[in-house]
Amino acid sequence: MVSDTERPLKQEHTELPKLTMKQRRLIKNSILHLVLVSLSALFMFPFFWMLTTALKTPAELLRGTEVLLPATPQWQNFRIAVTQVPFILYLSNSLLLVSLSIAGTLFSTTLSAYAFAKLSWPGRDTFFIVMLATMMIPIQVILIPSYILYAQIGWLGTRLPLIVPFFFGGGSAFYIFLLRQFFKGIPRELTESAIMDGAGHFRIFWNIMLPLTKPALITITLFTFMFVWNDYFGPLIYLSNPDHWTLALGLRAFQNQYSGRFDLMMAAAILVMLPTLVIFFLAQRQFIEGITFTGIKG
Amino acid sequence: MVTVKKQSSLTALKRQEKRLGYVFASPWLIGLFVFGAFPMLASFYLSFTTYNMVGVPRFIGLTNYRILLFNDNLFWPSLWNTLYHVMLSVPLGLVVGIALALLLNTKIRGMGFYRTLFYLPNVVSVVALSLLWLWLFQPSFGIINQVLDPVYRLLNMEPLGWYRDARLSKLTLILMGLWTAGGSMIIYLAQMQDIPFELYEAASIDGANALQKTTRITLPLMTPSIFFNFIMGIIGGFQVFTIAYIMTGGGPSRSTYYFAYYLFDKMIHDNNMGSASAMAWILLLITLVLTMLALSLNRFVFYLGEQK
Repeated sequence: MVSDTERPLKQEHTELPKLTMKQRRLIKNSILHLVLVSLSALFMFPFFWMLTTALKTPAELLRGTEVLLPATPQWQNFRIAVTQVPFILYLSNSLLLVSLSIAGTLFSTTLSAYAFAKLSWPGRDTFFIVMLATMMIPIQVILIPSYILYAQIGWLGTRLPLIVPFFFGGGSAFYIFLLRQFFKGIPRELTESAIMDGAGHFRIFWNIMLPLTKPALITITLFTFMFVWNDYFGPLIYLSNPDHWTLALGLRAFQNQYSGRFDLMMAAAILVMLPTLVIFFLAQRQFIEGITFTGIKG
Repeated sequence: MVTVKKQSSLTALKRQEKRLGYVFASPWLIGLFVFGAFPMLASFYLSFTTYNMVGVPRFIGLTNYRILLFNDNLFWPSLWNTLYHVMLSVPLGLVVGIALALLLNTKIRGMGFYRTLFYLPNVVSVVALSLLWLWLFQPSFGIINQVLDPVYRLLNMEPLGWYRDARLSKLTLILMGLWTAGGSMIIYLAQMQDIPFELYEAASIDGANALQKTTRITLPLMTPSIFFNFIMGIIGGFQVFTIAYIMTGGGPSRSTYYFAYYLFDKMIHDNNMGSASAMAWILLLITLVLTMLALSLNRFVFYLGEQK
């Protein structure tokens, strides 16, 4: 854009009326905004249609685009979604899995990230590469023997296969990597002076490292929440007892029960996704930074 | 005396650090062996056995592999379905993600807001997402066919059946996957904004237009994140399962019966652990080979600050 003023010769050939730089930018920005607004509308439309569908009557559903908005919003669709299935049970199951997974992930990732970042021990660098490589392995390769193992120690039909691995760094290679970078960023002098003052590594870890890496810990908590809340495959395989079902499994069961009743299905789906949307809106910055980290430093 | 004492306490500290290293890493190390390495080796062994969760695995050599490759009428179709999915969804996802990022990489007001909106579909549970698109693509009452109705009339054709049509079902699932292209967009955008402004300034002085700046500066300098998303897309694409499980049940006519779906059925319904393990290792091998191939493209990746 800057170039135009520097090439007056070329500009004389153009037949467009001469526009000032400011006007040109205004036009360019308006076009860009127009494109972005229409694209956003396109991306947001499914959410809008989901909500209006959830508030329609079955008769209105069949009339498609003739009825954009329901004549009277059918709020009871949401009540049906909550009362026709044990919604509270599914919700508390999901919350139980989510909170224990977060606890386990924070426990295992912080400790091992400290070992990778601040301690030197034989094999550390090799294990670090192994850890990065585990991100590439399809889950199916370890799924079957794990399933057999859990069957043999009597864990099938319990929630343990979906909780215990988190306490041992299961599926959290990326988080360890993220935390390691954070820990490495903390000046060496800080830890060294603490050692001089007689503090052990556990004290340093607990009193210096963890408080200083709160943003990373929040990011890990949020990502684990999203993953476990939304996970379908793990619960599908391990939670055979309906009393242990999570919202994701409950939603699927709801689909089978009310197949064709998209008004009810959309109401239930909205309720399931609402917490993730709210948390995302409240903590977008942490999310965006975390995702950015995967792509650029990873 | 003093220095000697300090020396020895330092070595003691070093020795202690070695021990502590293992202590701190122990949760992950134990996990690596118990939930990682052991199952991996076990599944490798199982792939040469026949085992249905009763009794003990019986060694049968390469039989599982031989049957899968030559005597199984679902193995190749499921692999083909998966390849089709990967080959279309990965490039399309890249293009849409990059296009969105390029649009947002302008000093325009509200960029953060648009970024949030485009990312939003990524936080939706995959079950909820599948139900939503089941409704949008619903052939008779779904909004997509309603909107396309004038086009159908104009061309005098039958409305498309989307996921109910075996020829279109895979494509339908790929199209709906583009809704989540905002996830990679975030990564591209972050990398674009790391590109030094001076490069663009210098290009402007040399008379480059916006298109040239995009193709000669922005895109080349984005190759690391394009590369990252490409590899992750391939790995993820080969594991496609849940959307088909919820939306189509693998149909119609097994057109969305993907590799991971077949593996799941073998494992959970047939309890055919040997054959399922063989499939898992074939999947690992394919992923590995494709990743290696992709890594050989690494020399086209341009890392800022590394050029000499």
